[in-house]
Amino acid sequence: MTVIELKNVQKNYGKGEATVEALKNINFQANAGEVVLIMGPSGAGKSTFLTVVGSLQKPTAGKVLIKGKDISELSVKESNKLRLNQIGFVLQSYNLVPFLTIKEQFDLVNQVKKSGNIDKATLAKLLGQLGISGLVNKYPNELSGGQQQRAAIARALYANPEMLLADEPTASLDSKNVDEVGQLFKNLAKNYHKAVILVTHDPRLEKYADHIYEMMDGQMTKES
Amino acid sequence: MFLAIKEIKREKMRYGLIILMIFLISYLIFVLSSLAVGLASENTQAIVSWQAKQVVLNKNANVSMSQSVLNKADLKNAKMTNNEALLGQTPVVVKSKGRTQVSAQFIGIKKDQFIYQGLEIIIGRKANKSDEVVVDQAFKDKGYQLNDKLELNGSKKKYRIVGFARNAKINIAPIVYGTLPMWKTLRQGIPTMQASAIISRRSNYYNDHGNNKTYPIKQFITKLPGYTAQNMTFQLMIGFLFIISLIIIAVFLYILTMQKMHNFAVMRAQGIPSGTLVRATISQSIILVITGVFLGFLAMLLTAKLLPAAVPMSFTPTIMLSGIIGMLLMGVIGSLIPVRSILKVDPAKAIGE
Repeated sequence: MTVIELKNVQKNYGKGEATVEALKNINFQANAGEVVLIMGPSGAGKSTFLTVVGSLQKPTAGKVLIKGKDISELSVKESNKLRLNQIGFVLQSYNLVPFLTIKEQFDLVNQVKKSGNIDKATLAKLLGQLGISGLVNKYPNELSGGQQQRAAIARALYANPEMLLADEPTASLDSKNVDEVGQLFKNLAKNYHKAVILVTHDPRLEKYADHIYEMMDGQMTKES
Repeated sequence: MFLAIKEIKREKMRYGLIILMIFLISYLIFVLSSLAVGLASENTQAIVSWQAKQVVLNKNANVSMSQSVLNKADLKNAKMTNNEALLGQTPVVVKSKGRTQVSAQFIGIKKDQFIYQGLEIIIGRKANKSDEVVVDQAFKDKGYQLNDKLELNGSKKKYRIVGFARNAKINIAPIVYGTLPMWKTLRQGIPTMQASAIISRRSNYYNDHGNNKTYPIKQFITKLPGYTAQNMTFQLMIGFLFIISLIIIAVFLYILTMQKMHNFAVMRAQGIPSGTLVRATISQSIILVITGVFLGFLAMLLTAKLLPAAVPMSFTPTIMLSGIIGMLLMGVIGSLIPVRSILKVDPAKAIGE
């Protein structure tokens, strides 16, 4: 099932002669249960792609469809709601609120989204799979980088989104940990039936991807 | 509220320092307000206790009761009912063997008029004889006792304390209540003088006959020496303190908000509504202000217990309430300043950082 689809998406910054075309006529698709890799060097437009897919920015032209519904023209409030309900982010900075324990990160979601979050049993299972069951009462700065990343993944999945967007998830990991994280995303996609989109320039993740897209100068090509 | 409480709990030192600032400011506001009201009350205590509405003075006395002299001719047409009383005022230096000297105001009154009848005696009784006086309780605080013999302005005649009265201060000085003949002796003026003023409890009382002029009590009070200047000084100080507290709260919250912009961007990226973040900031400010003000209030109560009775502090619910409401208002206004930044935070900034 197609979770997200981009049709002829363009994103420009600036006006007139100073216009920068960050995304050029992008066509993209990700399905539930799949891991999709977006690769490319710095400045290729990967981050812009992530902001458009994640409904953080509107495209200049083209359509972004989530489960067939066009999200290109949503209001700020509607975008917020969409991100809360359907998109899970795992950012480079781990997107954890520094003054909340891991358990309280989930409580924060409960404060703003009263229903539709994963239940206690599923959360316990997820935390077990991520290997952080015993760390729920710790603050982010009491965890290692890898543990923080796993906690961020749990936090992103807690609201039970349709897709998971990860920005450079292996940026500071050694090869052993890269394999662990790659396998983890693969399992999460399969077990929880999510579309997992990883934006990275780490080729070590390629073997875990169902599809790979290459970005260069704002243009996207499908490699496999 | 959830985010506000959790953050304060986690960042105890940071928020503790802000609470300390608010505590110190609110404590200062409470103390200054209490002092202002206390001093103002010591200026007008007796006037308030008389329930005076109008005062008739000599029109050339510059609205000063101790300067005013009303003679027989001035009082000729004065309508005196149960609501009017004659009064003679003059400054005196009170001496007594083994006691400290006290600068006071002598007030001569008539036994059959309402001021005498309304005296609130806390120890002893009212004066009945020509050598008996009732004095303010401040004399008691200075060691004076019942039956002490007083010299007034170095007089040869001795006056005996037969009672201590509550609320017997005028223009900050304690009052010595005696009779009008005693006042005449102490004032040593023209032989025909009868009193300094007519005090009326009726707001429609007028007597502008001859040299007389009637003043509403508010006008009379504002003309008490130093009263207006003193009140304005305190009001200015308290006003500035409120403004300073507003600036401090606003600056602290603004700096804290700026430091948290990345967190806000991350939370916005996760779909946390900006309203939740704004409410967290405002409720955080309210929690900080309430805590600081509550501690300030406790400190002030403690101060009140420890301060000697001579310090003119007055604690009224109005002062407390206005101080608390004022500080809360400053906190809310202060917290609204960084709200614009929160509303403008770009969630896309969370990507790639």
